[in-house]
Amino acid sequence: MRRIIYHPKYSNYDLGPEHPFSPLRVEMVIDLLKELNVPFNYIEPEIVSPDLLTQIHNKEYVDLVEAVSKGEEIPNYSDFGLGTADNPIVKGMAEGARYLAGGALLGAKLLIEGKANKVLQLGGGFHHAHKKLAAGFCLYNDLALAIKAMTNAGWHVAYLDIDVHHGDGVQEIFYTDDKVMTISIHESGEFLFPGTGWVYELGSGMGRSLKLNLPLEPFTEGDSYLEVINKAVEPALAYFKPDALVVQTGADAHFADPLADLMLTTHDYEKIYRRIFELADENCKGRALFTLGGGYCPRATSRIWTILYFIFNNIPLPEKLPDTWRKHWEKRLNKPFPETLHDQLPAFDPIPRKEEVVKHNKDVVQRLMDAVAPDWL
Amino acid sequence: MLIREVMHPDPITISPDTPLCDAYKLMQEKGIRHLPVVENDKLVGIVTDRDLRLATSRLAKTPFDPSDKVKEIMSHPVETTSPSDPVEIATQLMRELKIGCLPVMEDQKLVGIVTSADLLDAMLRLTGVYRPSGRLDLSLSNKPGELARLATILAKRNINIHSILTYPENNNKIRVVLRISTMEIRTLAKELCNSGFEVLWPPHILCVE
Ligand SMILES: [Zn+2]
Repeated sequence: MRRIIYHPKYSNYDLGPEHPFSPLRVEMVIDLLKELNVPFNYIEPEIVSPDLLTQIHNKEYVDLVEAVSKGEEIPNYSDFGLGTADNPIVKGMAEGARYLAGGALLGAKLLIEGKANKVLQLGGGFHHAHKKLAAGFCLYNDLALAIKAMTNAGWHVAYLDIDVHHGDGVQEIFYTDDKVMTISIHESGEFLFPGTGWVYELGSGMGRSLKLNLPLEPFTEGDSYLEVINKAVEPALAYFKPDALVVQTGADAHFADPLADLMLTTHDYEKIYRRIFELADENCKGRALFTLGGGYCPRATSRIWTILYFIFNNIPLPEKLPDTWRKHWEKRLNKPFPETLHDQLPAFDPIPRKEEVVKHNKDVVQRLMDAVAPDWL
Repeated sequence: MLIREVMHPDPITISPDTPLCDAYKLMQEKGIRHLPVVENDKLVGIVTDRDLRLATSRLAKTPFDPSDKVKEIMSHPVETTSPSDPVEIATQLMRELKIGCLPVMEDQKLVGIVTSADLLDAMLRLTGVYRPSGRLDLSLSNKPGELARLATILAKRNINIHSILTYPENNNKIRVVLRISTMEIRTLAKELCNSGFEVLWPPHILCVE
């Protein structure tokens, strides 16, 4: 049983017209679904209370976020990562973030109660939100809240993060937890935000060897990416045997994304999403909660998440984009759109360092597998 | 700054069957404290001068004999690093594990060794911070006001600087590595480029929309 979760108030999490984390991206997806005559039936979540968020966040942090979001003047906001270009203080943002957290939490509940086998939450994925620090466009960690609800129900949860940035907030929150495996596949933090996500960050205490990081070389392409999934994620899930999968499906590893340097095409995303569904079927009876995440080239992001929506609902992918949709958004964004849902191939010139990139990524997988081997016996 | 810039390439190695006395002699001769143990081209262990001294000490319960083999006392499995790892990452690993050296592996082959002394040298030139941040790498003209000009652009964009590391390059330029609190490093890089800065990373900044 599949369920979609969405709330129009998700759009309240709007950090300004110039900010890349724009609610427009989901609006584009919903608009495209409509133009494609695909049913869009969703359940609306309830907003979560600030109090509930203290399951994940420091109370002082939640109080401060709520206060500044109401327009109150609090002098030490910058200690909590707020008031920066990435995390500006915008009135009402906390409310939007709490609706989004409510969506993730509802997704977890539907799975726990057996009312759904797969849930797609059309928003959220705030993996950079730390216990007491806003960062990387993220305020409240919706993913952690959902995972916590599942572990409270006695489940083992595998968190898979395919956003191009390291899922540092989720990793930090569950770093010592033996009920949660986190797996983040991202562009290496050598230069890219947040600068963490190295192989040796393996978790500590009871959580040792359950926090997995696959920092990929800039300019990684789809085949190398899929190989990493098959050589690392597959054995990890087979070892951990989770009760459910929580997936952050950020689309910012696309080659056109302005914030990072991986080279996935929409075709690669289709393969990756299908592979993740297979992995859920093989390892946890298909039980999975998907959230959105990063993705800052709206022309690409909207198509990638539409592909996710189709795969999620087991509907064949259309080839063409409807003219009305394309023309409307071409005009609004003032950018040319492709005529097809998928990228045209070849999507970019051959990468000169390709061999080196593939080799580096193989090394990363090997290093990780060697590091966890003694604990995975 | 990457490991390949600070490591000792082609380190001296010994085999698991090397007698302890030979290993000790080798360390004395070469003035080194760590010997990677290699068998059939594979790194199988590591032995330090301290390991040797403790193993053979008369104070030990059952001291090893100088003719005993290295494989009896070597540490394994061995923690390693790779040539493309930044030095600060290797440093953290060594501190966490309280070890004094890391063999450097590429293609599962030993290509170098890096010791705490190498990293101390490196850290004199480089310091890091620990807050979520992106990394911006520039080459500045060696003249007054350049850093101020750079900082002003960041301030205008409301970007917090977590650290600035600078070191002189050979070409009379100043290398500047900043850790800054932003995901939008490429749009920033484009603006810097347009303002006449030489941006070394992120590359391909012209593809920013
Ligand atoms: Zn991201």
